[in-house]
Amino acid sequence: MYSLFLRTVIRKMLLLVLSLSVVMLWLNGAGVQIKRTPFPVSEFTLRNGLRVILSEDYSLPIVSVVIAYNVGSVHEQPGKSGLAHLLENLMFQGSRNVGQMQHISFIQKIGGILNAVTTENRTLFYQTVPSNQLALVLWLESDRMNSLNISASNVEKIKNSLIEELQIRKDTDPYLESYWYFDQLLFPGFTYSHPVLGSISDIREITVDDVINFYSSFYTPNNAVLSIVGNINKNKVQQLVERYFSSIPRGNDLPSLNSEKLENIGNTVQSIVSPLATYPGFYVGYQIASPYSEDHYSLVMTEYILLKGQTSRLYKRLIEKDRTAIYLSGGIENKADYSAFKIYMRINNEIMRERSQKALFSEINKLKTTPIPERELEKSKNIFKVSYLRQYATILDKAIFLSEKLLKRDNLVDWPNELARYLSVTDIDILRAVNKYFTDDRIILDIKIK
Amino acid sequence: MKLKNILSLLRYVFTLFTFMLLSLSLCLGEQERFRRSPPYPEPYPEFSLPTIENHSLTNELDLAVVRRQDSPIISLRLIILTGEGSSPDDFPGLATLTARMLSKGTITLSASDIEERIESIGGNLTVEIFPDYSIFTLSFLEEYLDEALMVLSEMILRPTFPRNEIANVQRTMFYELASQNMDPEFLARRVLFQILFENHPYKKIAFNQGVIKNLSRRNIVSFFSDFYRPNNAKLVLTGNLNLETASRKVSRYLSPWEKKDLPYSLVPPLDPKEKQKVCFISLPKAKDATIYLGNIILPIASPDYFPFVVLNQVIGGTSNSRLFMDLRESKGYAYYAFSEVQFFESCGVFFIRAKVRSEVIGKALPEILKEIETVTKAQIPSQEIEQAKSYLIGNFPFNVDTIDKLSLKISEIQAFDLGVSHWESYQENIMRITSEMVSRMGQKYSLNTPVIMIVGDPEILNNMKEFDEISVYSTDGVLQYTISKGDME
Repeated sequence: MYSLFLRTVIRKMLLLVLSLSVVMLWLNGAGVQIKRTPFPVSEFTLRNGLRVILSEDYSLPIVSVVIAYNVGSVHEQPGKSGLAHLLENLMFQGSRNVGQMQHISFIQKIGGILNAVTTENRTLFYQTVPSNQLALVLWLESDRMNSLNISASNVEKIKNSLIEELQIRKDTDPYLESYWYFDQLLFPGFTYSHPVLGSISDIREITVDDVINFYSSFYTPNNAVLSIVGNINKNKVQQLVERYFSSIPRGNDLPSLNSEKLENIGNTVQSIVSPLATYPGFYVGYQIASPYSEDHYSLVMTEYILLKGQTSRLYKRLIEKDRTAIYLSGGIENKADYSAFKIYMRINNEIMRERSQKALFSEINKLKTTPIPERELEKSKNIFKVSYLRQYATILDKAIFLSEKLLKRDNLVDWPNELARYLSVTDIDILRAVNKYFTDDRIILDIKIK
Repeated sequence: MKLKNILSLLRYVFTLFTFMLLSLSLCLGEQERFRRSPPYPEPYPEFSLPTIENHSLTNELDLAVVRRQDSPIISLRLIILTGEGSSPDDFPGLATLTARMLSKGTITLSASDIEERIESIGGNLTVEIFPDYSIFTLSFLEEYLDEALMVLSEMILRPTFPRNEIANVQRTMFYELASQNMDPEFLARRVLFQILFENHPYKKIAFNQGVIKNLSRRNIVSFFSDFYRPNNAKLVLTGNLNLETASRKVSRYLSPWEKKDLPYSLVPPLDPKEKQKVCFISLPKAKDATIYLGNIILPIASPDYFPFVVLNQVIGGTSNSRLFMDLRESKGYAYYAFSEVQFFESCGVFFIRAKVRSEVIGKALPEILKEIETVTKAQIPSQEIEQAKSYLIGNFPFNVDTIDKLSLKISEIQAFDLGVSHWESYQENIMRITSEMVSRMGQKYSLNTPVIMIVGDPEILNNMKEFDEISVYSTDGVLQYTISKGDME
């Protein structure tokens, strides 16, 4: 028994010595500078697999630190929905050297801001602080990556607060249930359709072991991207990152994502009663090309033509001209490898339902048959360009943007070309994409009121 | 083997040995020493805000330019130095309606054309009305400065205020205000401000939906003609542009704008309330009790500005401040409890806002009043002051971290003529504040005699029997009746 323990210790020790040496050697070369980016970006990887992005921005005396874990609700198993979101909340309950909620008070006391978010395939923790406090943030983040305090009482406390939060949302958001049901129709199967917030019954069933397993599987350096942007000295930051993160052991290789293929939705019309809703409405949804496909660029431009801005086609037609709808929203929603085009409208009364749907489909048909005029396309591209540029408007935005780009494409080499690719979409590309994806295979979900 | 080689070998062995020791301790479950406690910060970084460059056009329009070379978006802000405080007493809401009408049609462009022109340059137009001024913000892609100025000049030089558009905007304003009549925070703030600004021009900022129908096109045209003048305006441009180009282009589009003498108006100073007043707005079935309480304080240009900002931070600026720590963390009465300061040209307002469980209103309210009394009587410990200052300095960059926020801050400085030192020396101004200076603020301003506004289910009045008198207001801010202590018992 003892000799086995000793052997394990020696093996781990040798591995660590090797890894530390490699890191030290590596740090002498100053990371890889990514070329042709709108702002300076460099990248390096620690031996334990943690990918690190650095970007200097001296406009303000602050630094943003984002840790993005490649995990979200799509990694949950049936019966365990809400687990990813639960773990995000647990990350504030303390770790070996940081007390409960101390992470928050450390950041707030120095005037910093922080937040966290869980999506279908990501969990992000981010904070911006005066740049002289960078080491504090790295200390905090590395401690919870290394040694989160997962106790039965902590898990129970978070479960209760999440259930309460979910119940309040259900009691107050009249359109929540219909929105979730629409997702079930549009993304058939558990993996992509279940909500990030989970279900109350599933959250109740989550055990401490579930949480420990999830944490040790996904909250590992090799499943994360650390993005640091702001008033920094690159060499110094590299040393700090190495100090706080390099001795955190690499995790196991990741379990592969459920290889659930989406079923075709067919032509589906359903209705749901929303007892709390004041106004009726409806959703229309199409399954479209994945965010990684060539057609994605044309579909995004279609989204802008139809839905973005007060001069978009659907807004002009349904809200201003016909006045059949009182509220309009929607756009492309990506869930890991899959995407959908969603349109949501709120109407005054039942008479307007048919009129609104007729007008909506007539606008879509127009896009299928008539190329979009040049001036209108240019306008939509300019609106899109502003939204794109605003994605990295602040130091924090940059840090989030970079971590997302690295996780999405697995490298940062492509993104400097990305904006130009969107802006090069032609009227013919749009015509082709609309004809290919806006077919009769679509979901219409009518929301009725009591 | 040479001595140098031996030394080098020894160094290598020593390094390897150190690594192995470190690794051994790690693998045995011990942690590195540096993980045990938070690291010390480095010295606070130097920080200089971008320079504001100024130029005046011949028609007296003041232009301020702040260059941000890294920004692909330009933020243009036109400040009209007339706000809701200048609406005629009979026509509250007129400044707001006039400002919102500016983009609704000109001699050559319809409201829809203006929207189209703005979105074509990746632009967005917003209008904000404050007590002392109104701000039009147009942000757009940097390559379209000419197009942006052209649309702006159309709106300023040739507005037509079409009657159908006036009706549309009036309807929108009515529904916007009416829809907020169930929002306890909105109601509490509106009636609190209405009482604090009693008999003062600022009272008009608390207008309700009932007054909108009284406003006519004639009122709008006359208000526009009186106040929308270059000698009553400032233009702030923030983005990748320099003063010379900006001045040339602004002059090309806006020099035909004619100046005119302004109607005489001086916003008088306002004294704080010297007697505590308790008010109630009934919102049947409201689950919680919403508390807003406050009093009139100093104007923005006062030398007491910085010490008061620190005082506010100590009382309730964040969740680490006294109110939150006491009412939520320690006593568990409140969902939230914060304090805020708002500064205007002739005075300011300090107020506390809290949402508490209905059943504890009788305990929560005295607790808030006790917190106020403490800061007015006892000196605040230096450590707490230093913590508040550290927060304020660390947090300041977030007020200017986007092109929009930066230009808003500059607009505020321009609108109030605060001068460069207010802008450039924020950090020094906060640093020099001492505990004594802050403690004086509590005594100097009448924080102890606030107007207290409570919004909630009428049942909670049963928990407020210790107050001598409670004035009950309608959601529109009309005094309904007064309950005295005897009535409740």
